[in-house]
Amino acid sequence: MKLVTAIVKPHRVDEVKEVLRDLGVQGLTTTDVEGFGRQRGHTEVYRGAEYQVDFVPKVKLEVLVADGDVQGVVDAIVKAARTGKIGDGKLWVTEAEQVIRIRTGEMGPDAV
Amino acid sequence: MIADPLARLTEELAALDRAYSRGHHGRWSAGRRSDLFDAALVALFSAGDAPPGVALAALGGYGRRQQLPRSDVDLLVVHDGRRLDDVAALVDRVLYPLWDVGLEVGQAVRTPDECASIATERLDAATAMLDLRYLAGDEGLAAEAGAHVRAGVSADPAGFVARLRDGAAARADRYGSTAHLLEPELKEGAGGLRDIQTIAWVGAAVEGVSLRDRERAALDAAEEFLIRVRSALHLETGRRTDRLVLDHQPSIAREMGFIDEPRLIAEDGLMRAVFEHARQVSRILADVRARASDDGEAEGHAVAPIEGAVGVLEALAEVSEAGAPASPRLLDAIEAAEVPDPVDWSPEVRAAFLGLLRTGAPAAHALDTLDRLGLLARYLPAWTAVRCRPQRDPYHRFTVDTHLTTALTGMATMLTAPDPDDPMEHDAVTEMSDADALLLGALLHDIGKTGAGGHVAIGARIADETLASMRLPAATRELASFMVSHHLLLPDTATRRDLTDEDLIMGVAATIGTPERLGALYLLAKADAAATGPAAWTPWRRALVRELVTKVRRVFDRGEMGAELAERLTDRIGRLRDLLEREPDDEVERFVMRMPRGYFLSVEPVRAARHYATIAPDIGRHDVRSVAADGSRPGMYELLVVAADRPGLLSWIAGALAVAGLSILSAQVFTTVDGVAVDLFEVEGAFEPEVGERRWREFRRTLRGAIEGAISLDRRVEDKRRHYPPPDPAVPVTIAVANDASDFSTVIEVGAPDRLGLLYDVTSALADLQLDVRVAKVATYTGRVIDAFYVRDAIGGKVTDPAQVAEIETSVRARLEG
Repeated sequence: MKLVTAIVKPHRVDEVKEVLRDLGVQGLTTTDVEGFGRQRGHTEVYRGAEYQVDFVPKVKLEVLVADGDVQGVVDAIVKAARTGKIGDGKLWVTEAEQVIRIRTGEMGPDAV
Repeated sequence: MIADPLARLTEELAALDRAYSRGHHGRWSAGRRSDLFDAALVALFSAGDAPPGVALAALGGYGRRQQLPRSDVDLLVVHDGRRLDDVAALVDRVLYPLWDVGLEVGQAVRTPDECASIATERLDAATAMLDLRYLAGDEGLAAEAGAHVRAGVSADPAGFVARLRDGAAARADRYGSTAHLLEPELKEGAGGLRDIQTIAWVGAAVEGVSLRDRERAALDAAEEFLIRVRSALHLETGRRTDRLVLDHQPSIAREMGFIDEPRLIAEDGLMRAVFEHARQVSRILADVRARASDDGEAEGHAVAPIEGAVGVLEALAEVSEAGAPASPRLLDAIEAAEVPDPVDWSPEVRAAFLGLLRTGAPAAHALDTLDRLGLLARYLPAWTAVRCRPQRDPYHRFTVDTHLTTALTGMATMLTAPDPDDPMEHDAVTEMSDADALLLGALLHDIGKTGAGGHVAIGARIADETLASMRLPAATRELASFMVSHHLLLPDTATRRDLTDEDLIMGVAATIGTPERLGALYLLAKADAAATGPAAWTPWRRALVRELVTKVRRVFDRGEMGAELAERLTDRIGRLRDLLEREPDDEVERFVMRMPRGYFLSVEPVRAARHYATIAPDIGRHDVRSVAADGSRPGMYELLVVAADRPGLLSWIAGALAVAGLSILSAQVFTTVDGVAVDLFEVEGAFEPEVGERRWREFRRTLRGAIEGAISLDRRVEDKRRHYPPPDPAVPVTIAVANDASDFSTVIEVGAPDRLGLLYDVTSALADLQLDVRVAKVATYTGRVIDAFYVRDAIGGKVTDPAQVAEIETSVRARLEG
């Protein structure tokens, strides 16, 4: 079991959702997050008044996948989230030691 | 025959729960349940030797014979204080068996004096003991305890009413409103069962506070209904649950017999009924409290009769603004007023209504009062469809009508006191010429949530009708209607679209048209979100909406888009569609959607229609299409080049033109949303005015060779240049790089003496720096050329690093002076 976590631009979320659905991924968690990477924050000027944008709005996606499906899911997210511009985000994969479907108590791959 | 009273109790309780469907356990069931407990408790109490001077009594809901399926059983043991050990033994004997079978029992052991003193300390204890009911033992002692508590209350009725008021306020704070929240608390929420009891307690404490017949009937119906819902919730969850969360609403609606109706699914029907009952309760409680605190002096002052639709609004505005609840006599007077159905919106009615809206929070209160008297729908017939209507999404906390009046309040607050830390709000408020439109837009923005789906389109239609019936000035009507039909534009675009896409920003600016409308939508987005719930206006959403507003605002400020341009754009696209009427509709639509707005603004429809055949078909990665046509004057030619966009393309075209001996008089570069470059040039022959087919062929051949990498343009342009006059050395080369002229691109201005292949030189220098030219404006004056290039770096951003900016200057200069 792996947990795929990705930070993507808000306007790419629908696209990612769609490709994951096409892949047969059953579930996805999204969270509105703010942060900075190499893109940093920036100063916005609104009609002469400056205001600092320290953190850039992004969306965090989390998907639990069976080991064999990881590469497909990773490739799909990267492809769907890429605009080629700065701030496209990051993705990482971690080991999920235990996965349990709360309603039924199913464990492991059955719970994904 | 079951001998054990507890075994019998548990069996009979279970039988009662099963006796009929979960949705029909009202007061009768609660009374029957109380009787079952009574029988068991009397049996337990009498089973041993009850000591003298002890009584067992029921408290709270159990005392009122309203024992709900999973509620606590509240008991009071009253004793005379003389045989404490015996009392303790008795309590053990009666209570332990109840606990042992898993019943939730709350118990208190007090003397009558203790009852009185604890009643003065704790309101909940006092009210529970007001409903004290004797069960077993020393009846006189139980009566004494009850009398002590009641005496304490009647010694200071005003104080007791004040405590009840504070208690109700604390509950409303903690549990919210049963009348407005989508997941209401049925027992403790404002308008819930506790409020119904509070009305009874006020009535018991204060003499002469009586209910009108209609109020009594409304409370009776509310109590029965809310008890049924709450009982159903207990039975469904198997425990004492009093908050009716979304998950349970469908099954409870079914249990209670609600069915799907057109535009009102069963669970919405259930919730609408809950809200309607709870609103009645809230209002009657407020009235009863006002009556109870009346000092009697005002009794003599009759309220003057109220005249018609205007009088009602004025009277409400007056009391609401004073911050006072409408007195019962005022309500009577309003009810007695003759308000036509529907109201005719005379100038006086309109003035009174708008005057009321401007008061903000008091206006929401006044509209609520109008609603309770059944009058609001006479002013706004569309209100009926959103009244008490639940909304099922994860963000909303309130019913549709409450959401609308809350948004109105938020808007009015911003108009009177704009947030000094929000420059956009400040600008929007100070630049706004029509506050009435803002208030109406806020009040009506979700009026389309009628259960028929697609609330924005439906709402726009309903708002138009409503605003038309109000006979408002055209400008007010238009702005308010625009707000309703576009209230999701900013939040939806900000959170779902790419804000670095210039054409998107131009499109939003074209849709909005003016800074005033932009301000109106921003204020509405804020008021709407604040009225939705805590999750709707997070720093996350705010940052995105502000970025969008900032960019659109700058487009207006720079004059890149505005009301006039937006109109011209609409007009031109309309004319283009007419010109292309023989082409398939979906192809034309795709063409319009793919092309940037800037294209339609600078290319008139007749030319765009001519371009259609070249631009519209899909183009392969290595294809290039070009079409030459006569230009604006004899000897000038319009050249259209279409190819998949790639770094360097513009320089290859410019180079190929130079090689073919063609001078560029002006150039416009557009990129479609799907990455196709559409480059438009005005050219003339460098020497001979007539440009024949041979030259065009040469241009095409050279361009194709350059794209395929088969030829060196540098050498060919250099060769060609030898045949032409050298540039005028008196004209200086100037290069300026600016980052404040556009939100999306760095702007490079180049001034230089005219020479063959100048555009090739500049654009190939930019291509070497990995810069993508998004827009090029080329203009030639006698001997001198002024060009502006809008460029972005390899990842689509502006060039902001000072070292890179300096590099642009040196590279371009080296190329032009070398």
